[in-house]
Amino acid sequence: MAIQLDARRVRSGESRPAGDGRDRLRRIGHSKTLIIMCLPAILFFLVFAYAPLPGSWIAFTNFNYHDGIFGSPFVGLRNFEFLAKSGQLWKLTRNTLLYNVAFIVLGNIVQIAVAIMLNEIRSKYFKKVSQAVMFLPYFISVVLVGVIAFNLLNYDTGALNALIERTGGDPIKIYSQAGLWPFIIVLFHLWQSTGYGSIVYFAAILSIDSTLFEAAAIDGASAWQRTRYVILPSLKPTFIILLLFSLGGIMRGNFGLFWNLVGNNATLYDTTDIIETSVYRMIISQNNFTTSTAVGLYQSLFGFALVMLCNWLVRRVNEDYALF
Amino acid sequence: MNKKIVRIGAAFAALTLSLGSAACSDSEDSGKPTKISMMVLGDKPSNGRLEAMLKVLNARLTEQANATLEPHYIEWADWQTQYNVALLSGDTSLDLITTATDWLFAWENAQKGAFLPLSADMLKKEAPKTWAQVDAKGDWDLTKLDDGQIYFIPEDNYTQWTNHGFFYRGDWAKSAGIPDGTITKFEQFTQYFQWVKKNKPKAYPWDVAKQNEGALTGYLQGHTDWVTLQEVSTSSYYPFQIDNSGATPKVTSWYYSSDQLLPAVTQTKQWNDLGVWREDALNYDGNTREEMYAGLSGTEQHHTQTFVTQVVDTMTKKQPGSDPKMFYWGQENGNVYRDIKTHGAMAVSANSKHPEKALQVYDLIRNDKTDYDLLNFGIEGTDYVLTADGKLDHPKGWDISKDALDSNFWGGRMDEFEPTKVTDAPNKADIYKGLDAVAKVYPFSTLRVKKDQIDPTLTAIGGVFSEYIPQLQYGKVKDPAATIAEMRKKLKDAGFEDALKSIQADVDEWSKTHKAK
Repeated sequence: MAIQLDARRVRSGESRPAGDGRDRLRRIGHSKTLIIMCLPAILFFLVFAYAPLPGSWIAFTNFNYHDGIFGSPFVGLRNFEFLAKSGQLWKLTRNTLLYNVAFIVLGNIVQIAVAIMLNEIRSKYFKKVSQAVMFLPYFISVVLVGVIAFNLLNYDTGALNALIERTGGDPIKIYSQAGLWPFIIVLFHLWQSTGYGSIVYFAAILSIDSTLFEAAAIDGASAWQRTRYVILPSLKPTFIILLLFSLGGIMRGNFGLFWNLVGNNATLYDTTDIIETSVYRMIISQNNFTTSTAVGLYQSLFGFALVMLCNWLVRRVNEDYALF
Repeated sequence: MNKKIVRIGAAFAALTLSLGSAACSDSEDSGKPTKISMMVLGDKPSNGRLEAMLKVLNARLTEQANATLEPHYIEWADWQTQYNVALLSGDTSLDLITTATDWLFAWENAQKGAFLPLSADMLKKEAPKTWAQVDAKGDWDLTKLDDGQIYFIPEDNYTQWTNHGFFYRGDWAKSAGIPDGTITKFEQFTQYFQWVKKNKPKAYPWDVAKQNEGALTGYLQGHTDWVTLQEVSTSSYYPFQIDNSGATPKVTSWYYSSDQLLPAVTQTKQWNDLGVWREDALNYDGNTREEMYAGLSGTEQHHTQTFVTQVVDTMTKKQPGSDPKMFYWGQENGNVYRDIKTHGAMAVSANSKHPEKALQVYDLIRNDKTDYDLLNFGIEGTDYVLTADGKLDHPKGWDISKDALDSNFWGGRMDEFEPTKVTDAPNKADIYKGLDAVAKVYPFSTLRVKKDQIDPTLTAIGGVFSEYIPQLQYGKVKDPAATIAEMRKKLKDAGFEDALKSIQADVDEWSKTHKAK
């Protein structure tokens, strides 16, 4: 995994002079195992991302079953209108962006920190146990996360408020204080994703050339210096690639998490409503696939533009780190 | 997420388009029985009761029509999306589709071509009994689009009252000082709630969860004589009402125009401050009906059908002496309407490969008493028993949460085949009679709103509603008047008045050929 994510190695492979057909065939033959391993992913993207692309046309039509996606009347941008008309486009775009920035920045920092700490743990069993414990929340359904949050935080019977009351304080109406929720949501997100995300960084640390560590040890580097001058620089390419990947989805929200934590609680929407949740509520009872595709297209195009822009910026700074 | 669903749907649609024509079978001609798949709404039971019943039923159907029936469930989780996606995908394995004009998007789907238009000749030939019964009632017009074609078969011979209201406890109401323990006005609930709050510390006056507009619509229905336009919904709301008091029907809106919204919200705010519901009702996800059965909630909100078939019986058993009663919306001013006859209906899929066979099977399960009993009540002796006086009961040890049949056939039930149930409220007949005496017939069942023209506007309106109604319904606002004004301003920006105008034009056009009173 670490090898695939290391931008420099991938690039150096690509930059090899192109041989003739036989040469290429031989190379494919050599990479047979790798290609077979990638096949499910390649198929997945072909079937679920590329094959349905033409279907996005539905966003510009007044769709009906008879005429199908390409035969239905063309209506231009009418299906995009509602986002602007509902007066929420700015708020939704802002919330979605800010949450994702927080998720990406904080998420990566915490993941790197955890990966480094895991690397420093000497006891094999403790390391495995810590990893497993941190990994677990990733497998907990967001529906359950929502239930857990409610039972911790609600006013009438929540554990937190029970504790506050027992210790003589006044219970807090958490579910009507919009200001608290960015923290709560980010916290739950980190709790769920850190264990999983840190695996990638941990693998990257393990693939660092051990001679570097030996050299650092000979030079008398402390643990902090080892981290600062060996590990962090070696993680940079991985970090940049993961960053570029996540930027593509910066307009996509973690619908499940937000919906299950906030749901219909409109008193919190100022700080918690993201594009997905709002659109879900708007079209839930409308038989309207055109508008939902329109929203998806808006998010994808925005994410696409952002990835292109950042990749261009990265390439200007250091070509080796760019995706393409 | 939605996009992915659409993409998958589109991919399947493309696949089926290219493969569909090649896969046509002609099993009807060969000896093998044709499998007729019927889409129903409900959670698929896993207790084996349904399969046992189908075995018996399908043996009969094979003999009668050389066909078998196979229910296809759309489960309650995310049903709105699942239902429409199933139709969009152009699935050729579906034959019969449960639908409804007020809650299952029948008109939208008919307009979008999901249903096979049914000719009179076809119906007369393949479903003669159904044709004759609906025709005798003159109800085919309720199922036609502007093109004059029939798109589905109405469940028009089945009496039910799905008018909403509050269920409450007569014993507590009496103690609260309400005369005879019977609430006759919506505002009296304040008195009832206050008493419960003070005297039943373990119970919520009204334990309510998530979305429930009752506190607003219950008030508004009883304080205006407007009727909700059932043909247009957005998000989870019905934004438009019709003022039918003048010479011609006028399209209007409780949320956008009514003066009564302010007192309604003032009251929900009072209830919220009193602690009628949980502080976090909007996020609470408990089973509130069970809470009422356990004596932990003073009120529950649902419709008459639920009250007479479940609540009275269960409350009488679990809370003896609780004297369960129901106050329905519009009770104080007689603003209550009968169920529309297309609250349940059955359509034939436009992609069905055996539409004729599907109609034959439908005619049997709707009109053959033995088939009907099997599908709706199960196998006599194990799923149900008949008492000496002909009432439907369940065998000893039968438990609804474990043994329910759940066939969910809601697209063609018939009054004459429905026995009285042992669990029905003893005063069911009186309740029905009372409603019969005041309820009006919903006059706009044949109105077809041109939704294509207002779809994006409706979506935007839904966005505004979903932002404000949850706050208003639970009184979670500092200044009701200011919040209402803010919502109305946003509705205006979203194009509410354009939508009003467009629907008014449809109503005016309709009025030329139909009577609103």
